Amino acid sequence: MSQKTQISDVDRSLYDFRFDEDERDRLSSGISPDIITEISDEKNDPEWMREFRLRCLDIYENTEMVKWGAPIDGLDVSKIVTYIRPKSRMNTDWDSVPESVKETFERLGIPQAERESLAGVGAQYDSELVYHNVRSEAAKSGVVYTDLESAMHDERYAGIIRTHFMKLVPPTDHKFAALHGAVWSGGSFVYVPENVHLEIPLQSYFRLNAKGAGQFEHTLIILEENSSLHFIEGCSAPKYYEAGLHAGCVELYVGKGAKLRYSTIENWSKNMYNLNTKRALVEEGGSVEWVSGSFGSHVSYLYPMSILNGRGARAEFTGITFAGEGQDLDTGAKIVHNAPETSSYINTKSISKSGGASTFRSSVVINKNAAGSKSSVNCESLMLDNISRSDTIPAIDIKTDKCDVGHEAKIGRISDEAIFYLTSRGLSEEEARAMIVRGFADNVSKELPLEYAVEMNNLIGLEMRGSAG
Amino acid sequence: MMETVKLNKLPVPTFSHLGVNYAERRPIEGEARTIAIESGITDISESSRCTVRAERGGRKSVTQYIGAGSDITVDTDIMIGDGACVTLVQVFDSRAAVVSRLNAKIADNAQLDLVQLYIGGDTVSDNKAELAGFRAGLKSDIAYTLSGSDKLDINFVAEHSGRKSVSAINVGGVMNGSADKVFKGTIDFKNGASGAKGTESEDVLLIGEDVRSRTVPVILCSEEDVEGSHGATAGRIGDDKIFYMRSRGFSEEEITRLMSRAKLAHVINRSDEETKRRIYGALGWGDEDE
Repeated sequence: MSQKTQISDVDRSLYDFRFDEDERDRLSSGISPDIITEISDEKNDPEWMREFRLRCLDIYENTEMVKWGAPIDGLDVSKIVTYIRPKSRMNTDWDSVPESVKETFERLGIPQAERESLAGVGAQYDSELVYHNVRSEAAKSGVVYTDLESAMHDERYAGIIRTHFMKLVPPTDHKFAALHGAVWSGGSFVYVPENVHLEIPLQSYFRLNAKGAGQFEHTLIILEENSSLHFIEGCSAPKYYEAGLHAGCVELYVGKGAKLRYSTIENWSKNMYNLNTKRALVEEGGSVEWVSGSFGSHVSYLYPMSILNGRGARAEFTGITFAGEGQDLDTGAKIVHNAPETSSYINTKSISKSGGASTFRSSVVINKNAAGSKSSVNCESLMLDNISRSDTIPAIDIKTDKCDVGHEAKIGRISDEAIFYLTSRGLSEEEARAMIVRGFADNVSKELPLEYAVEMNNLIGLEMRGSAG
Repeated sequence: MMETVKLNKLPVPTFSHLGVNYAERRPIEGEARTIAIESGITDISESSRCTVRAERGGRKSVTQYIGAGSDITVDTDIMIGDGACVTLVQVFDSRAAVVSRLNAKIADNAQLDLVQLYIGGDTVSDNKAELAGFRAGLKSDIAYTLSGSDKLDINFVAEHSGRKSVSAINVGGVMNGSADKVFKGTIDFKNGASGAKGTESEDVLLIGEDVRSRTVPVILCSEEDVEGSHGATAGRIGDDKIFYMRSRGFSEEEITRLMSRAKLAHVINRSDEETKRRIYGALGWGDEDE
């Protein structure tokens, strides 16, 4: 009897370790004015932020749950612990980080990556940043890379934070944006001055260790004119039976002629609800490139949005989604062309197996003032068995005649002709299938940072048994 | 507040801000007459419930010419038996609001050729073809020409549950003035539809500065052994085309007129002579021979 080709799940042994937590560190679960005030007290929030958090709570309570997308019935926010006190203050010296936290990040390879290939590193453990460091040469060029709370209390950056914080993603955007505004904690602030080009990347890593908890980090990046940056974001959590929640927020301001690449590898455990919001505002001649790998979480809603706000601004989104057993990953991208001669390119791949469901969802809006704009959307899906699901739901909204918009999508399985061709060239059927799946993901994996590309290739490691069905 | 009803619901809703999840219109009251369409052209100017049936092995080629002076609903049920074939041409040529619902069931080795032409107006068109039989086939050619403040909302679902069923939905149109169009096309591969193939495409020529064109080409898939694809393009006439035709002596106005006609021609040419004559008249194109 023939057997189906088996493609292994993500090897989660790297991520599925955890350390005991101290129950006294946890605030009560759910969300209430008292909890929010307690978070503000813990963080010594300025008055405007205290008021902002409470206003967000009000918006949260008066905003309906989204009526589309993957089901999130299993998420009960009243059972989520929104804040966990840190085991230590934020450090810039790795040796001062508590042992269990240090071991976590060492097992994830973060300090090694910092030594070898990064200009700066931020590490968040549960609700707070525990380590942040930036190389002296980057700091000397005026690059600021620190945790958001420190920046908010530093008079040099307090004004910038106040004028930019949740202005791109207002709390009225959706229910989880409001929740984020109310309970946000941790995250990074990056400022790159005019004409500064950071050649090597900065990386933030977010680790949620506590069970039944939420992580609500906020990343704010500002690139001044003609500057450039590559920012890498990684996230993981050990598996629990209780649902966890990630409702982070990323706001990127890309100045005139500036260039930002934002790479994310999301590898949350399969009990997590990943309801993250990411948005970039790109000015004249600027560009934003999103590289996104979605492998983990139980349910994901993730659609990084680029608002092309200046003439000639450009956005590119390259993404891969791998949905396995018990996963419903709803991912994609949003583009708003809001200035003349802007261009966008979306290219995604998705793989579904073992009952997993992947949905590609996008929207491209060409506003009336975006004459001469161009957009291209391309998505491909691969179904590896008969119990999985793969949907594509792209939308295009055009409000001017002076534009060129193209869209293409394909869905299917590994073709018999391709297998026949490769086997006639001397490959075994198993090798042929492995080659095709790797080739399918290749144009995305080559955009990933090297260590993540290796990880992804391992993930698509094929276990062949017998002939394919 | 004016009462409205939600029509043309997208099978899987998406971002609310795009306004594509449903069409909202005033309800249309009134009795509908029942018509069993057998052959030739059927003129529809009042709310109607139409049926088109082709029994096992039969062939039927019919036209609905929908031209109403007041708001109407048109429901069309199509049953196509084993090995039968139906060609249905629907021409929407109404100045008033039209809500059209079409439901087709296609059996083993049966085929539906559906041709739709929308000439202006305010039309909501909800179409569902159930490709339930083995090798059931659907070929749908749709064209629209919209200008002024015309509104068109098309929802088309090709539901594949039959093995080796095949669907092709091709849409082309021209938009001018401040016309507003939504096209939602869904290919839904149900589990068990092994060997099924579905394609859909839309190509829109945008001429007016104030047009709004929304396209949502959806593929839903719960079967591994299928092939689905969709493509959409939208924009103005390419500079290379304009250059080529200008160099052959055409003015920009003539180029626009010719390209607009070309977008509709593949649909109009699938009509019978009488329907063609009427369409030419409705479009102000004069005689076909001109």
